[in-house]
Amino acid sequence: MTAKKRILLIDDDKDFLFATKLILEKGGYEVFLAEDGKTGVEMWKSVAPDLAIIDMMMETWGEGFSVLSKIRAMDTGKDTPLFMLSAVDLQGPYNSFEPPPEFPKVNAVLQKPVKAEDLLGYIARELGGKKMS
Amino acid sequence: MMNTPTPLVLIIDDEPSIRDGCRQALEKSGYAVLDAEEGDEGIKIARDAKPDIALIDLKMPGISGMEIIEILSRDVPDMVLVMITGYATIVSAVEAIQKGTYDYLPKPFSPDQLRAVVRRAVEHRNLKIETRRLREEKERMEKSFITFVSHEMRSPLVVIRQYIEALKAVAGDRLDRDMTEIIERCGARIQSLETLVEHWLDISRIGEGSFAWKKEPLNLLQLIGRSTEEMAPICEEKGILLKTDLPDQLPEIFGDQEGLLRVFTNIIGNATKYTPENGRITLTASSDDYYVTVRISDTGTGIPADKLPFIFEPFFRVKGKEERQRGSGLGLTFCKRIMELHGGEIAVASTEGQGSTFLLKFLTHMRSEQTMDHSATPIRQF
Repeated sequence: MTAKKRILLIDDDKDFLFATKLILEKGGYEVFLAEDGKTGVEMWKSVAPDLAIIDMMMETWGEGFSVLSKIRAMDTGKDTPLFMLSAVDLQGPYNSFEPPPEFPKVNAVLQKPVKAEDLLGYIARELGGKKMS
Repeated sequence: MMNTPTPLVLIIDDEPSIRDGCRQALEKSGYAVLDAEEGDEGIKIARDAKPDIALIDLKMPGISGMEIIEILSRDVPDMVLVMITGYATIVSAVEAIQKGTYDYLPKPFSPDQLRAVVRRAVEHRNLKIETRRLREEKERMEKSFITFVSHEMRSPLVVIRQYIEALKAVAGDRLDRDMTEIIERCGARIQSLETLVEHWLDISRIGEGSFAWKKEPLNLLQLIGRSTEEMAPICEEKGILLKTDLPDQLPEIFGDQEGLLRVFTNIIGNATKYTPENGRITLTASSDDYYVTVRISDTGTGIPADKLPFIFEPFFRVKGKEERQRGSGLGLTFCKRIMELHGGEIAVASTEGQGSTFLLKFLTHMRSEQTMDHSATPIRQF
């Protein structure tokens, strides 16, 4: 049996973490949780996950971006798939996330709440695993 | 009575006997008193000490009482002004009050009369300050409420929907039909609550002037195309014919693509709710040099004449409480605000039993450049 792929989830909402963890575990992944950006970056180093999902807006707006930049700046984080989560105004494109050209690569931006099948689908696409039904 | 510090009264009068008399009477009643024998000195003291009340003699050598009143009501707005006059004519009283005095005291006056007038003036001042404080508080609350709603109300809704997703993922295969339906219905209700919050936020932002919108040249034919494309599936599902009857060309308008798209989809969406199967929703458009007019007609149940004036009001429902909660109750309010933001208009005509027609009137590009830049609507772009 191959080892489970590891996913790091960084979000300051405990309930969101728990709900999303259940979905990811159902999808067959091993899940690590961090409740703030700083812990998230530390866990990245110790866990070395295969993929990370980062909330854009934690205690301060933009904390997610700084976490993303820090991870991308590390050797281990250069090519790892990273997803951003956004709950910013869902209606209309005004505030949807459009990274500036020099911004570190984001593999997907997901709107909160995210449907279980969509989430697992995006992850499977990045990690090459088969999609769980 | 509020627990306030000793009220400070300034007397500006050239007669020493009046100044001394007032000082004695007021100090005996617990007021602190300052005085000045002429206008310039009085204005200087008032600006520095900011007294609660100023008693001003109307007729003095040098700068006149009227001028003092004008200057002080501008420079020390919280101070309540009372004029003292030996020549209490209606004309001078009216003029002084128009310039901002609160009351007047005709000479000669007794200490009791003086104290009565000053007491009323202090009460007036307290009310004035309290009113302003409350108004500022209200404005602050309105502002922070928008932020509060967007963060504190939206995040729990998002989390609940995420839990519902988790529940379906974890237990989906073990749930029977009833359980699944319960979960689906919970999800739908949460989602409509989210929509309500979104609409409410948008409307508040428009009112507050912080709604983010782009002004760009737009082709309404393209916008109508996008909206009918978006609404086609729901019409098909309900067995309603959605058709357009449009000219080949329309003048360009000026506005926010996404906001206006939502106006169209909102009105078409509304029409689908009140139009029976095999009904029709038709979009037509016409234009002249000044306006482009789009009509969205349906063959639905229509709106009673007595309800028509209210349908753009927030949370107004044509059938009152009996009506099933079908939408946020803010859709048409949103449409109206967006149209107003664009310098346009929205109107409705309806015959019960036959259908309704919504009319959207847009300024043409040329026209809107002339008017919108001078409009009073605060426009902020991000």
